[in-house]
Amino acid sequence: MLQWINSRFPITDLVERHLSKYPAPTNLNFWYLFGFLLIIVLVMQILTGLWLMMNYTNTAEEAFSSVEYIMRDVEYGWLLRYLHAAGASAFFVLIYLHMFRGMMYGSYQKPRELIWLGGWVTYVLLCAEGFTGYVLPWGQMSFWAAQVIISLLGSIPLVGEDLATWVRGDYLISGITLSRLFAFHVVLLPIMLIAVVFFHILALHEIGSNNPDGIDIKKHVDEDGVPLDSKPFYPYDITHDVYALGVFLLFFCAIVFFFPGGGGYILETVNFEPANPLSTPEHIVPSWYYTPYYAMLRAVDFSLFGLTAKFLGFVTMAAGIAIFAALPWLDRSPVKSIRYKGIYSKIFLTGFVISFFVLGYLGLVPPTEIKNILAKVFTIIYFSYFLLMPIYTRIEKCKPVPERVPA
Amino acid sequence: MKSFLILLLIFTFNIFGADEFNCGTIECDEFKVNISNNADLQNGLSIYMNYCYGCHSLQYSRYKRVAEDLEIPIDLYVDNLIYDGSKPGELMKISLTKDDAVNWLGAYPPDLTLEARVRSPEWIYTYLRSYYSDSSRPYGVNNLVYKNVSMPHVLEDLQSSMTENEYNETISNLTNFLVYVSDPSSRERKQMGVYVLLFLLLFTSFAFLLYREYKKELK
Amino acid sequence: MVQPISPPNPGRRKFLSLITGLMASVGAVFLAVPFLSAFKPSARAEAAGAPVQVDISSLVPGQMKIVEWRGKPIFVVKMAENTVKLLSSNLNRLADPNGEDSNQPDYVKNQIRSRKEGVAVITGVCTHLGCSPKYYPETGSVAFDSDWQGGFFCPCHGSKFDMVGRVYAGVPAPTNMDVPPHYFPKDNLLVIGLDGVS
Repeated sequence: MLQWINSRFPITDLVERHLSKYPAPTNLNFWYLFGFLLIIVLVMQILTGLWLMMNYTNTAEEAFSSVEYIMRDVEYGWLLRYLHAAGASAFFVLIYLHMFRGMMYGSYQKPRELIWLGGWVTYVLLCAEGFTGYVLPWGQMSFWAAQVIISLLGSIPLVGEDLATWVRGDYLISGITLSRLFAFHVVLLPIMLIAVVFFHILALHEIGSNNPDGIDIKKHVDEDGVPLDSKPFYPYDITHDVYALGVFLLFFCAIVFFFPGGGGYILETVNFEPANPLSTPEHIVPSWYYTPYYAMLRAVDFSLFGLTAKFLGFVTMAAGIAIFAALPWLDRSPVKSIRYKGIYSKIFLTGFVISFFVLGYLGLVPPTEIKNILAKVFTIIYFSYFLLMPIYTRIEKCKPVPERVPA
Repeated sequence: MKSFLILLLIFTFNIFGADEFNCGTIECDEFKVNISNNADLQNGLSIYMNYCYGCHSLQYSRYKRVAEDLEIPIDLYVDNLIYDGSKPGELMKISLTKDDAVNWLGAYPPDLTLEARVRSPEWIYTYLRSYYSDSSRPYGVNNLVYKNVSMPHVLEDLQSSMTENEYNETISNLTNFLVYVSDPSSRERKQMGVYVLLFLLLFTSFAFLLYREYKKELK
Repeated sequence: MVQPISPPNPGRRKFLSLITGLMASVGAVFLAVPFLSAFKPSARAEAAGAPVQVDISSLVPGQMKIVEWRGKPIFVVKMAENTVKLLSSNLNRLADPNGEDSNQPDYVKNQIRSRKEGVAVITGVCTHLGCSPKYYPETGSVAFDSDWQGGFFCPCHGSKFDMVGRVYAGVPAPTNMDVPPHYFPKDNLLVIGLDGVS
């Protein structure tokens, strides 16, 4: 039977190449678990999302009450919704860790540029997915977040206002906007997401995983052409991944079952009030995973070269996300991993991490004068990690990278 | 680096801006949510149905669900707590229309199904205990938590017929009921959560031992 | 490439693999529960399908009232006295007079196929292909039957039923029309959707 299939579709070969016999470096550490967990969360989001969609109504009149219908009238609807909401936050926690791993060990460097770009597109799509999903419950936060984000488009010179109106499909955020964001959230973006993730994994398996030492394990291969410093995915990595899944689920389920609102970070309290176009809530805060960029947006409060502060803020925010894509070409270091890079790389990477957290915090709280100055300072630190990289990676002194994975 | 740490300290202590109170013009009173006692919740429900339900619907909740969750016999419930002949399976909507409310009361009383999630239990508990007389207001009362509130003090008779402790107890029951109705699955959820976590703990332990079995070979 | 070596204690490894795999499968089954349960009728659907109360005091003998319950027409017929008598005289023309092969609660598995004499409660859906039969209370010669005893005739494929929904022999419909759960809490009050105690 298997033979019959294999001679028509080489399924055994496929499974061995991508799963069971995939040669992973022997020195992978816990930073290499998040990719697997991200796939699990993606599957969970698709399943719970599908089930939610069966009961959700995408009209301005019914959206809010249909969410409460799911929470109360549908059996286990509350669980499906809490899983989906907490899943969104988990998605971002994991993808930020996953991205940081890549930055730390230089996984974006040649020859893995396309893998990195695929991951970056996944992240951008995820941001869009998070935003569109956030609007669907049609609470106060949903409405005003949509209002603020879409207004940002209005800042683009010349075409901005028309563009914003075109995106809304109306002169204000309305049921029309809700319907199209719903279509994006449940059809367009997930399809793109699945396609890009598929590409990301396929590309990775063709090139092979990087490792914490940034050693090219393909330099030393056995007679079958398999790297000497590798181990088959089954059983070594799969057992590690399953263990990681257990730990992840422990944290995740503790939140879903005992703190499903996440103290207002997973489900904002203001969003339990139906959307009201006539009254803005006192504090509008985006979801925690966007707040670093939101802080950048607010930090830019000056106009320059005849461009408005609003537009410049929007550009800064977009650049903060876009600049990750340039990493493979900004890094001029002869080594990949931070373990062998020089002191400047370490300082700038640390600065980047601190600025990410500080900006994330600043984006959550109401602005004050001192906080605004802080936001400016840390926005500069954030960008200097990227923009100065071609310089500091060239001048710093690196440690020699060993030929083989150290025992 | 030093100045950076100082800055860090400054804004960690500044998280909750000190210029605002969390309950209007005052700090919220302490309130410990307890939705495990059905007798308390039943009392809260009956206060709600008698004093609040005339104006404030619970439109996402169903009569029957509340009866089942609070273990009230359905016949007793239908006879005493459903006033408009609704069927037990129906949503707890009220007959007050928006236009009438605006004409008579000046505003439409909000639905309170999710009030405990929108505000907080502490807010509700403090609010209902913070009415004071103020002859400048149309109903002769004002509220420390909700400045220039348009709702009259509907529990005034109840408050004056009780000792302070009894009144606090009553408001506590009412608040707990509103907490329950804002997320009716929470009791079931937490019970389930314990089993889920125990299962995961066991699973993760075995998965860890299995992982270590293979990990040993790599050293 | 590093390859698994046989461990000093192979039983331990085997046991751990087995139990981890087993627990993962059990977990997957548990996980399926909420997804499958969410397909059950929701509280809204339950409320829409709640029992219906019908006041039958205004029905005159021979009159039929159609009530909707769970999206189906329920025929409530108050039978005239002579029609009740006919119920036991016509048995030889019926395919399943005792309801052996048909769907009905046990309390109507009697001679008159009713819970209360003189009141027929029937799910008005033909057991052939789901059309709703028409009510023909008159007796005697009618277009589709020369000796009609009163009952229902399905316009789709000509199935014939008597006053209490029992199917005639030699028509396409295989069984009697269903009887929904019902009871009479008071003399003139009918509740459809609950078995209750009359």
